[in-house]
Amino acid sequence: MKRLVRENALALCFLLLFLATLAGQSVAGAAAFNEEQAANGGSPVTWAGYVTSSSFAVDVAENWQSEYLQFFLYILITVWLIQRGSPESKKEGEEGLESDAEQKVGPYAAPGSPAWAAAPSWRRTVFSHSLGIAMGLLFLLSWLAQSVAGLAAYNNEQLAQLEDPVGWGGYVTSPDFWNRTLQNWQSEFLAVASMVLLAIFLRERGSPQSKKVGDPHAETASSG
Amino acid sequence: MGIRATAVVCLGLVTAQVTAGCASAEDTSVAATAQRFLSAAGDGRGGPACLLLAPEAARSLDDCEKDIVSAGLRSGAIRGVDVWGDEARVRVDGDTLFLHRFPDGWRVRAAGCRPRPDQSYTGQPYECEVRT
Repeated sequence: MKRLVRENALALCFLLLFLATLAGQSVAGAAAFNEEQAANGGSPVTWAGYVTSSSFAVDVAENWQSEYLQFFLYILITVWLIQRGSPESKKEGEEGLESDAEQKVGPYAAPGSPAWAAAPSWRRTVFSHSLGIAMGLLFLLSWLAQSVAGLAAYNNEQLAQLEDPVGWGGYVTSPDFWNRTLQNWQSEFLAVASMVLLAIFLRERGSPQSKKVGDPHAETASSG
Repeated sequence: MGIRATAVVCLGLVTAQVTAGCASAEDTSVAATAQRFLSAAGDGRGGPACLLLAPEAARSLDDCEKDIVSAGLRSGAIRGVDVWGDEARVRVDGDTLFLHRFPDGWRVRAAGCRPRPDQSYTGQPYECEVRT
């Protein structure tokens, strides 16, 4: 048990952080929602009522989609683009999908390679891109969830303000949908750009996300 | 992690759809409240009409029982019901009502509402005879 925890400590730590912050968001969100309800002459909702509401769902989904988009793009773009000096980047000349030998696929699969890495045809292709596919699908599902929950939350607000509700098509072309979407995207892209650039010149001793403290600034694709 | 996250996202999506879908089950209750309110106000029964008003809407009138009867509200055929969460809009012939779901049921928060002439372009709120 102790060993299991230690071997999965990174995932468990972030999973616990996720649950704790989601719980915190639900409490703070319910309080903010009830302030709005009071201002509009409505009745307060319970915590259970809030966490099953479209208002909570859209606030959660809009952040999820942007995080998955960030990882999806980062995984794909770093295949083709490099950043000299960044531990997040491949070395110059390594851009692209690389050879089968380098990727240990097909006849070059090692004894411990996953079965689908050695498999012929579509299974190898799918497995070769499975991380990007998974992140891309999670992004699309989260974004779709944002649009559905956002529509319900938006129309709830519209009616509360004595305005007409809109359809899904009207909502996904509305300023509300794109404001929620783009305000999350811009922050993700800024964070990635900051990480790529700062990691060239700054270090965090012991972190695999950083170069070794003594590594030259110009050294690319190393981690410490 | 990926499978777990997918399941959670799917659950969120289904929940959102169910939440929206459940709205249709409320239509009858919303329409019945609107009809009872309009019938009472149109028939000169201010007391029952005021009981179906949201508290803030009732307080917005100097003398609710008198004012609600003289607001010119009339019952008519229901042309459409939209329910989103705790809010609803009911369109009847010549009138639009907005309702809110309180713990003890639906109450009218605005009645005698008409779209502003420029509403389709600017998304302005309806003009209402009675409102919170």
